[in-house]
Amino acid sequence: MFSLSITLPAVMGIFYSFTDSIGFGEYEFVGLTNYAVMFSDPAILSAYGFTLGVALCTVVLVNIAALGLALGLTSRIRARTTLRTVFVLPMVVSGIIIAFVFQFVFSHTLPAAGQALGIGALEQSILADPNLAWIAVVLVTAWQATPQAMLIYIAGLMTVPKDVYEAAGIDGASGWQQLRNITLPLISGFVLINVIIGFKDFLSTYEIIVGLTDGGPGTATRSVAMAIFAGFEDGDYAYQMANSTIFFLITLAIALVQLRLTRGNARV
Amino acid sequence: MISEAHGAASPRGRGSPGAVGSPRLPHLSRRAALGTVLGGALASGLSGCAPGGGASRISLHQSKPEAIPHFRDLLEQFNGRHRGSIHVDHDISANLSSAFARGNPPDLACMNYNFEMLRFQERGALSDLSDLAEEARIAPTVQALVDQFPTYPGRTSVIPYSMMAAAVLYNEEIFAEHDLEIPTTYSAFIEVCETLEEAGVSPIYSTYAEPWTVAQGLLDYSIGGSIDVADFLAQLWELGPDAGPDAPVSFSKDLREPLEKMQRIAAFSQPGADAREYGDGNLAFARGEAAMYFQGPWALTDIAVANPDARIGIFPLPMTEDPDDRKVRVHLDLALWIPEDASDPGAARELLRFLITPEVADAYNQEHLGFGVREDSPDVTDERLQDLQSYVDRAAFYQGISQAVPRTIPFENYAQGIVTGQSLEGTLRTLDEDWARLARR
Repeated sequence: MFSLSITLPAVMGIFYSFTDSIGFGEYEFVGLTNYAVMFSDPAILSAYGFTLGVALCTVVLVNIAALGLALGLTSRIRARTTLRTVFVLPMVVSGIIIAFVFQFVFSHTLPAAGQALGIGALEQSILADPNLAWIAVVLVTAWQATPQAMLIYIAGLMTVPKDVYEAAGIDGASGWQQLRNITLPLISGFVLINVIIGFKDFLSTYEIIVGLTDGGPGTATRSVAMAIFAGFEDGDYAYQMANSTIFFLITLAIALVQLRLTRGNARV
Repeated sequence: MISEAHGAASPRGRGSPGAVGSPRLPHLSRRAALGTVLGGALASGLSGCAPGGGASRISLHQSKPEAIPHFRDLLEQFNGRHRGSIHVDHDISANLSSAFARGNPPDLACMNYNFEMLRFQERGALSDLSDLAEEARIAPTVQALVDQFPTYPGRTSVIPYSMMAAAVLYNEEIFAEHDLEIPTTYSAFIEVCETLEEAGVSPIYSTYAEPWTVAQGLLDYSIGGSIDVADFLAQLWELGPDAGPDAPVSFSKDLREPLEKMQRIAAFSQPGADAREYGDGNLAFARGEAAMYFQGPWALTDIAVANPDARIGIFPLPMTEDPDDRKVRVHLDLALWIPEDASDPGAARELLRFLITPEVADAYNQEHLGFGVREDSPDVTDERLQDLQSYVDRAAFYQGISQAVPRTIPFENYAQGIVTGQSLEGTLRTLDEDWARLARR
């Protein structure tokens, strides 16, 4: 029953991708037309380019930030619990709210600060620059996603036994050497989980972009998920179903890679 | 007025999934008798007709945010009059597609009429209202706006209700201060801008951060003032998959000159326009931070709130050297239709009859800055809009091109791209290719 309720809509979606349906009413079969047109549609191709690029950058940024924070928060510092709570806050705020707040920061606060301090680079909102707007998307997505990754890393660091570090300390290993040769190998499973789950999540990024740029300026930050959703609202249902089918295959491939890698990892 | 209204209410006009998946509840007669008013999304899910004896329960779909209180009052009146026989719920959710996809469309809709309505109309999802259309006595010039879109053969699917006219808003005090007259030709308009700029006043306030403001203002005015929009689109539709940059009619050929002129006008915008939004624009224009503002009358309410003393006038953007070419942008802000699948068409038609009575319709238009659509509609009363009356009377108007391009082509984003530095030629080529691609599938 459970698998049926998940599979059926997906199968129906794939079915409709071979028609000219607009989501209701009559439709006709059009074969592979939707797919053929899609692969020559620069709007769709650039949406894929943008989405993949943003997902890659965000994954790197999130994991560096999250690991850094996790290392800090597991070391012996004051107010550790308070800090952990503060850092987890972005996780519980809805993405669209975060996006609107940052939208204001980027288009009003930062330019005003740039003007007051005479920093030319800040005076222009990066949301308004087609070549830079993606950076804002990466930053805000990362800001929201870091806490979750951080929690996973904290859990990971707790699994590393203290005596390994003590032994390493006696052998004279520096902090960096300890991190590279002890911590990272021992938590490699957690790194893998964070990278793959993160990448999959960032591929379907939607509300952050809607709130920040709504796909603009021009179509510079239009993600695949936005294109698909717009298709349903705008009567282009079947075409975007073809798009979702391709998108589904890509995420499926990533999930399979993930399964393989984690299974391999568990055996080690 | 989907996009205009949402510019004000929910800034992007997106992301409201509506009442997804709420099932029809069959036994509602007791509730109906109690006359419980269930607002919004819930109402659309509960609109199944009540069986056995009770009042017939129908829904009115009307989601223009600023008009919701007005219609709530109207429905109270109507429900009071039909107590025991008809009860109308006010459905204010925004997403129509999903309502149709669920097989649960509204019984009567009173909403913005644009290209998006076409797919419902074209596939025969809307019922025939030709008898009621006669009663409504729609002015032929207004009816022509509906007829520009392909209709379902043999049917009157839609009855216009309220028409809005938009043009350039200007600050009368700034114009007086600099001895400026309302320009009637393109070159005079450019001169006005240059004079203002030399005097250190921003000629135009633009809000490029919100794509719809570019499309419905600058772009629609520039194109509508230059070419016959309806004719251009009709020819494009005829081309279908043969459309493209090299076809006899194309975005690249026909829109190039108007849009180059638009770019010249856009360059007179205040610094930092790239990051400004609709709300910023209303506030800044109300405070006199610029002399002109390319927005429709829907912005006047906000402007009046921000500065009750602002003296705002309105004039059509001249795009040629002949003053007689000036036209205003109109759209059918509200139109009425009843789906084929309405649960109780009889009751829906009764409600429609009530809404089109002259007293009800005229009162609505007067309050919401709309122009009447009947042959004998009274003139607009708001003094800021009176200058547009003569254009409306002699049908010197056009429907904005941004409302007639299928939304699956990100036309508004393209418009934004053109004013924020993307290549005009490249964008027009993309548009032509998008159009052909759409026709191919």
